[in-house]
Amino acid sequence: MTPAASRRGFLAMTAATLAAPSLVRAADDAVTIAWPSDVPGWDPNQRFTPDAQSLFKAVFDQPLDQAPDLKLVPHLVTRWELSADGLSMPIDLRDDVVFHNGERMTADDFRFTFFERIKSTPGLDIANSWRKVQDIEVLSPTKAVMRFSSPAPTAPVWLAFLGSYLVPKGYVEQVGAQAFAQKPIGTGPYRLVEWEVNGRIVLERNDKYWGPRPAIRRVTVQIIKDPSARVAAVQSGQVDIAINLPVREAVRLQGEPKLAAELDPITRIILLQVRNDLGFEDANVRLAAHHAIDKAALSRAFYNNAAVPLSQLATPGTPGYMDDFSVRFDPELAKQLLAKSGFGPDKPVKIGFATTNGQFPSDYDLARAIAQMWKRVGIEADIQVIEYPKYFELNRGHKLPEATLYSFDNATGDPEIFVGYMLNPKLPFSPWQDMTIGQKVIDLFNVADTAKRYAGWQAIDREAMEIGAKIPLLQSVLTLARQKNLAVTKYANGWVLPQTMRWT
Amino acid sequence: MNALLSGRVLVGAALILFVSLCAMFAPLLASHDPGEQDLLNILLPPAWSSGGDAAFPLGTDSLGRDQFARLLYGARLALLVAVTAACGAAVLGTVLAHIAGYFGGFLDWLIGRAVEVWMSFPPVILSLILMVGLGTGADRVVLAIVLVDWTRFCRVLRAEVLVTTQRDYVTAARLSGFTHLQTLIREILPATLPLLITLLSLEMGIAVIVEAILSFVGLGVAADQVAWGQMIADARSNFALAPWTLLLPMAAIFFTVTGFNLLGDGLRRTLDVRQTIARSA
Amino acid sequence: MIAILFLLARRLLTALPILLTVSILMFVALRLLPVDPAAMSMPPNATNEDIAAKRREMGLDKPLTTQYAIWLRGALHGDFGRSIQLRRDAGHLVTAALPATIQLALCAMVIASVLGLGGGLLLFHLRGGASEALGDLGTTVLLSVPEFLWALLFILLFGVLLPVLPFIGQLGPQFSVVRVTGFLLIDTLLAGQGSAFASALAHLTLPAAALGIAFSPAIMRVLRSGLLDVYHEDYIRQARLRGIGEGRILIVHALPNAILPTLTLMGVQFGFLFGGTLLVEVLYSYPGLGNLMVDAVRNADLPLIQTVGLTYCIVVLLIGMTVDALVLVLNPRLRAR
Repeated sequence: MTPAASRRGFLAMTAATLAAPSLVRAADDAVTIAWPSDVPGWDPNQRFTPDAQSLFKAVFDQPLDQAPDLKLVPHLVTRWELSADGLSMPIDLRDDVVFHNGERMTADDFRFTFFERIKSTPGLDIANSWRKVQDIEVLSPTKAVMRFSSPAPTAPVWLAFLGSYLVPKGYVEQVGAQAFAQKPIGTGPYRLVEWEVNGRIVLERNDKYWGPRPAIRRVTVQIIKDPSARVAAVQSGQVDIAINLPVREAVRLQGEPKLAAELDPITRIILLQVRNDLGFEDANVRLAAHHAIDKAALSRAFYNNAAVPLSQLATPGTPGYMDDFSVRFDPELAKQLLAKSGFGPDKPVKIGFATTNGQFPSDYDLARAIAQMWKRVGIEADIQVIEYPKYFELNRGHKLPEATLYSFDNATGDPEIFVGYMLNPKLPFSPWQDMTIGQKVIDLFNVADTAKRYAGWQAIDREAMEIGAKIPLLQSVLTLARQKNLAVTKYANGWVLPQTMRWT
Repeated sequence: MNALLSGRVLVGAALILFVSLCAMFAPLLASHDPGEQDLLNILLPPAWSSGGDAAFPLGTDSLGRDQFARLLYGARLALLVAVTAACGAAVLGTVLAHIAGYFGGFLDWLIGRAVEVWMSFPPVILSLILMVGLGTGADRVVLAIVLVDWTRFCRVLRAEVLVTTQRDYVTAARLSGFTHLQTLIREILPATLPLLITLLSLEMGIAVIVEAILSFVGLGVAADQVAWGQMIADARSNFALAPWTLLLPMAAIFFTVTGFNLLGDGLRRTLDVRQTIARSA
Repeated sequence: MIAILFLLARRLLTALPILLTVSILMFVALRLLPVDPAAMSMPPNATNEDIAAKRREMGLDKPLTTQYAIWLRGALHGDFGRSIQLRRDAGHLVTAALPATIQLALCAMVIASVLGLGGGLLLFHLRGGASEALGDLGTTVLLSVPEFLWALLFILLFGVLLPVLPFIGQLGPQFSVVRVTGFLLIDTLLAGQGSAFASALAHLTLPAAALGIAFSPAIMRVLRSGLLDVYHEDYIRQARLRGIGEGRILIVHALPNAILPTLTLMGVQFGFLFGGTLLVEVLYSYPGLGNLMVDAVRNADLPLIQTVGLTYCIVVLLIGMTVDALVLVLNPRLRAR
């Protein structure tokens, strides 16, 4: 509790005493989850939506899985070995896996998902992650070899990342992609039994699941887009667990006797994407913009100090993180830098600043607070609100403003997917189009040796900070509130998986 | 003149006057800039409750901004939008109503069909679609309200113009050599004025609500403008923690709209215009 | 009967050109927006060539008139295009969401009518008395609270402070109902699930009440003034002279006549109320047209905005027609003609 929160005791107390569950739980093997957004359709290969991954993981399986500490662990694929040149990777598949319709999962389905389907179906997001796949050789129903056109050091990581879910070749070819996205069949621990768009998703336990049997039989996912409605829903007992709550509300819910609320740092970076031209052409201005931001104050004000201030493109505990590197908060230095380029509080440099509103907790507040901090040193930012899907369209047309508030999710923690993806001018994420650093990034994508790779990404990260090519702000936090007697496994990447829930 | 000062009109006018004074003297009354953030003093309760700070009479919002200052400056925007949008809609609607009612024939038919097309849209939906195209900003909100609500004036006034046009003194004016424009301005417009004033007052109330709605869904004013709807949208994520941040702008909207409605209602009675002006928001 | 059919046919004939105009206006307005539906519907990594190909595929390189003709031909065959954001058939999305919104609007209308008629009678009863001014003031104050303020207030009061009613979604999570009609209240009954029906009803209560209360004062006023008008008529005086009781006069003679203007107004109000569902749905996470629309607007999902917008128009026009027919059925004078 913050001191400010305890001062407001009255309402919190009233709410606590009155917040008896208005609905009795139907059964001890059922759970209701409040989720902030619907899936974009049930084709798990189609769109990269970080929020949907936990739901996809209930219905589908990935070739590899990640342990709560993000270590890669066998899943559908039991053995994988990337060759020294990074150009091929033999894999072994389990032989005891069946899809929900009873068909056996084989290497043909693997080849279909990661090769045939990408070539035959336009508009799949995983086509981008697997663009290096030249072929997948099927040796037997449980053995295959992936062949790549250039070294693919992150291939194992990608087998456990965004959108890489095994889909049934027979069923997809029979009903077509459209019907598949409505009535999906996977190998996962749950079957989809009901889907009301923007309403709710009902999952039933797959009793023939090859892996550990989930404790919860029936999972209802209630789509509640409004954060405060999610708070009220979990507080009033209408749902058993809710995620992405406003941070202050999550802190308040910690005081509720029947609830447990958590703020957990995850592998997601909140940063400012910056351009290398227009008002940000001058490195002094970009660095001043970085030094002017009091990240600790932002974390304190909006994330109850749970969000770790960041000065690099990696989260603590991941291989790319540098313990000895930081960019300090120093408004005087920021003023000096601006003065060098002829700007100051009386003669501010004018820039555009785009932000989402409601994409992640406190995003809009964060943007407005940063604009205020900039104003003090002599940067005048004109805030405009954009929707997340528009980011890519604007970036493609080079129409993003000088700075954009952005959150980059990397459930794998691999530095290529942090530094490499965020700085590669050939990928759609970065408005930074300068090739001096861009070429180094592109070259490093083809290095297979792990130690060399990690060192390379750290060097590029450092260089990017020194020229102000990105302004990292905070490590994002996952806010979650649940009934105290509902246990759920905590993953460092923010997954909240129904199959790990159980009543205690 | 005495009739004009009915209780309703007085109370309504007093409320509006109060809100207008708040808006006008906002810079003097408020001790803080409404956009100024204080990240150390977030969500403070009002000064009189425990934990409050006298520097922030009505407490602070989620960015540590002074609620009192924001309410006052919000009144500026609300009144600005209310007056300009209502007048804009009134001008457009009145002109078209007079053309339709006075000239009749094809023009009347055309304007009538346009009204029908407009009326087939719920106003909220239409303004939402318009805001998508227009983009955010107070001026766009005004434009959207004008483009949506001109029909309210046009529909009601047209009937009034139609009746007035058939009066003897209008015919007399035409016979005495008045041009159409002169007749319209000198003879017909004055006759429809009471109705127009009443509608105008009610429309201002509607405009306050529409501005709040649009700002609330994030399609209203720009990020750095202070608006009550924006305050409500900001407060929603903290409503259990800091209900006053939600209740204050709600109350401000309520009092302003009540003011305009009382005024309009009172005027309608005292000016004896038809009682069938339905509410619609 | 023939008169009613005739009226309906005439209304239908005027409704069609209105719909056509609306669709043209919306089409043109939405195409003028600075967003590229083709680019929006492609994954982030699409190349400019991919997008150009998509643009051709979607017909966006053709002149606006041709584009409209393509759209209209599709629409006449029930194909309203695909939602860019949800990548599903826009028509299907709308038909899936529409029953929920209609159900909400109807329940709200029932609440508005009960409150409106009750309040109207009360106001009429208070006429001339000292409390008349108070009643008048009451309606003005009620008129000044729009539905979204009621909705917020109800969440605060009955959802948070005194958690007695649910305010999220339209059905408790423990229920599964087979959708036959799409109207949950009907489907739960068809399936014989009494507790699911109760849950659906409980979920409807707060949003419908917020909407209903906001639209009731207008009904109160019109009913009151309708009654006042009727009581000036000769036949009321004659009825009194014949010694008929006041209660009977009100119910048999006055109300049926005063109800007509009220009904007409309720038709107009229903149109507004239908638009009012939008914000209430957003506030109550209610899976209807309003939420679909707000999402579509935020994501600049042009085909979906167009389809949902048109649906609102169609419903409003249908409501207008129904009310006209109803007024005709109820009005003995018009019926005789």
